[in-house]
Amino acid sequence: MTTKHGLITDSFKVVKKARRERKREKRPSPPRQLKKEAEAVHEEELQKLQQFDLDWRFGPCTGISRLQRWERAKLHNLNPPDEIKELLLKTQSDPSYSHSLWGEYPL
Amino acid sequence: MFSDLSGQKQGQCLLSPPLFEDQAPVFERTSSRYCPRSERYTVGERSFSRQYAHIYAARLMQMKPLLSEAAQQKWGAEVPIKKLCDLQAGEQCCIVGTLFKGMELQPSILKEISDELNLLPQPARVKYISETDKLILEDELQRIKLEGKIDRDKCVTGSVIAVYGAEKNDGIFTVEDFCAADFPAQTPRPALSCDTFVLLASGLGLGSSRADSMLGLQLLVDMVTGQLGEQQEQNGAATISRIILAGNLLSQNTQEKDAALKPKYLTKKTQAGSVEAVRLLDELLLQLVASVPVDVMPGQYDPTNYTLPQQPLHPCMFPLSSAYPTLHLVSNPYQADIDGVRVLGTSGQNVRDIQRYSSMDNHLDILEETLQLQHMAPTAPDTLGCYPFYQKDPFILEECPHVYFSGNAPTFQSKIITGAGGQEVLLVTVPEFSGTQTACLVNLRTLSCEPVTFSAFCVGDDEEGPMNVSH
Repeated sequence: MTTKHGLITDSFKVVKKARRERKREKRPSPPRQLKKEAEAVHEEELQKLQQFDLDWRFGPCTGISRLQRWERAKLHNLNPPDEIKELLLKTQSDPSYSHSLWGEYPL
Repeated sequence: MFSDLSGQKQGQCLLSPPLFEDQAPVFERTSSRYCPRSERYTVGERSFSRQYAHIYAARLMQMKPLLSEAAQQKWGAEVPIKKLCDLQAGEQCCIVGTLFKGMELQPSILKEISDELNLLPQPARVKYISETDKLILEDELQRIKLEGKIDRDKCVTGSVIAVYGAEKNDGIFTVEDFCAADFPAQTPRPALSCDTFVLLASGLGLGSSRADSMLGLQLLVDMVTGQLGEQQEQNGAATISRIILAGNLLSQNTQEKDAALKPKYLTKKTQAGSVEAVRLLDELLLQLVASVPVDVMPGQYDPTNYTLPQQPLHPCMFPLSSAYPTLHLVSNPYQADIDGVRVLGTSGQNVRDIQRYSSMDNHLDILEETLQLQHMAPTAPDTLGCYPFYQKDPFILEECPHVYFSGNAPTFQSKIITGAGGQEVLLVTVPEFSGTQTACLVNLRTLSCEPVTFSAFCVGDDEEGPMNVSH
């Protein structure tokens, strides 16, 4: 079966290659810089969140989201930093933000 | 309440010809203001993807300020309260932490698996304490062994306490004194103008192989609904404003575990024992709810979730009685304000578990101890099934109840205790009805409590006649 489809996939490949080439031509260097900056910001934010994860005062973090952990700390008057909450609310959809360092580990 | 009334006239009404229906006196049932306070025991979303570390962390977070305060009250305001990581050997200080008791005899699933190979099953025991038990105190980061003036056998895992003493060179903390959180604050009890009673019963044990509790149960229903005794007694029954059934409505026998092991073709036409028992319960409740509000708490053997807090039984199991608004299917633990009196109680699993894992035997003492610890179920989640909470530990007693009960106790006991802050609490252990034929009446005005026994056959030292409604 796969051999028969060979022709069609070949044609797709050609189209894709063509597009990529066009994109490369269109995009000059400035977006790359922006991308770099965005990456740096992203990196910095993640660093902050990881520091929050590593703060033992706010209790264990496996199995719950960062926001849930922040809210628990708030509930027990442990003064979690407000900027963490703002950051978490801003980036709710991104799993690398919402889940703790150990979020991937199976229980 | 009843016997002093019935002694006055020797049943003249019962011996006279019956009155016509419109001439007979009507006793209006006392109604009381009722406000359920069990929101904290309802579990909405159920996620079991968490570990139990959270509940211990939340417990310590919540109780640490309380215990620091209690410690300062006991040992003076300038007592140094330290974390275990800052602890210096030989330094006198106070540490707040969660107790853990390492128990040799505690059943463990790992042991069970390893014993499978040697075919050595763990024996079922009444008590799991032994001489080799070790007490360990844990704070957020570390743990330390405890020794000294602390009763090892009396303590249970999971209780948050403050200890005072010093660490010796061998890394063991020598306790000189310790304290618990003590009673929480209490809202004052409103003064009631007339006597109002709440009837507590537990362990109805429906569906058991022995049917001898059925007569007692029917007598209880008849007494409450005013179909028993003289007019004065009926008048007395009308002052019962509410009934609380504290768990184990079904008997343990309804949980046939062997049915799951039998092949399907052998059990095809058999019905689970609980089906008939629930139908019986529905009929019983129907008689009650037609006349008086009833709160039905689930217990260990009832068809709901096993882990605490047990969620209310599903109304679809009670097609007859659930039509009445007076039927309240509630959670276990259960909390409510009845005429402004805060009533809190469980079906007894927490007390029974502490009994198993400590030297304490008396249910009333254990109940008082949980109030001292300010925690209803310290052994959850260690040896008592519990939902993995992460934000808050709902079993911490934030407010002191006026009536604090636990169900399915071996005998009826009650006492009023007074806390250091003037809190007045009535402790009641509600006996198992199927074994003792005893329920208890709590007077909400005076907080006095008395048992009501319906023994058709004399049990033990009950010297009074048959079918006696007695003290």
